[in-house]
Amino acid sequence: MKIEGSAKMLRVHFGEDDKWNDKPLYRAIVEKCRELDIAGATVFRGIEGYGASTLIRRPHHLSFSHDAPVMVTVIDSDDKIQKLLPILDQMVAEGLIAISDVEVIKYSHQDGMRS
Amino acid sequence: MLTAGPAKKVILYVGEDHKYHGQSLYSAILNFLFYRGISGASVIRGIAGFGADHHLHTTRIERLTENLPIKIEFVESAEKVEELLPKLYEMVGTGLIEVQDTTVVKPSQASAQVSQVPVAPAKKIEGKAKLMRIFVGENDKWRDMPLHRALIESMRANDIAGVTVYQGIVGYGANRRIHKDTKLNLSHDRPMMLSVIDTEEKLRAYFPILDSMVQQGLVVLSDVDIIKYSHNIAGEQRGR
Repeated sequence: MKIEGSAKMLRVHFGEDDKWNDKPLYRAIVEKCRELDIAGATVFRGIEGYGASTLIRRPHHLSFSHDAPVMVTVIDSDDKIQKLLPILDQMVAEGLIAISDVEVIKYSHQDGMRS
Repeated sequence: MLTAGPAKKVILYVGEDHKYHGQSLYSAILNFLFYRGISGASVIRGIAGFGADHHLHTTRIERLTENLPIKIEFVESAEKVEELLPKLYEMVGTGLIEVQDTTVVKPSQASAQVSQVPVAPAKKIEGKAKLMRIFVGENDKWRDMPLHRALIESMRANDIAGVTVYQGIVGYGANRRIHKDTKLNLSHDRPMMLSVIDTEEKLRAYFPILDSMVQQGLVVLSDVDIIKYSHNIAGEQRGR
């Protein structure tokens, strides 16, 4: 698999406590991306935020109920991202999905390492 | 790379307590030289000395922190020295820079080389710019240093406007291995993202260096509009 030149970056924003089939939603999305052979996905946890529900999400260090904002970033070719979209749409009940253009400068792994 | 024959020896004299953008001046200079691919440089601390201000700096005074003289020396080709001098001139502040003709009899053994690209000094950026995102792993190394830290230092040394590192909690990339932050495991290899913003030409000029440092990972570029890029010149006045 190789992505080069212009590609798309998809970002999904939701809460850390959001679930999909009893599994953390962010983990479910990463697994789904892998299943679909998407080039890569990364999950970031925010420290504070609010979204469509206008509920401020703020992780509390002293409590177990932290619903921190979470963002999943996925980068792949346009058609791959388009394929992922309807599935995400179904998985993300409450959240934001945004797509932007990116130019891939480098995409490599150890096997393809240059000497 | 340094070869046998005529070369220039540059000696910079600064004070140990001198600062450059919040870090000690001599280490900032050393970092700059390192990431610009200088073959080698040495920092020597004097035990006493005085400079333009005619203040005698010595270790004998019963103070542990005295602004002792620091000498930074390196040997390079005349062209390379010419290329680095403007920035060094700016960095060294009140210090002294001396350049001598020298002859390299035997160059030191070089290890893996870093590509060298001349980069213009930092300037104000406005309007259209590029946002570069670099995805690497937390445990990735560059010369025994965490890669993400080495990248920040090298960008700083190359006058890139700014960089922020984000740590992810889960992710996978080109090697299909899931990087996860397992709470009961200290040996985590979490995904890291560096977000870098500067003008397109500055970033493109930096690509060869980036390329030599990142062995595995993803680098993408996108368009951004700079709305505000400012810093407090007076520095420590923030709390007023």
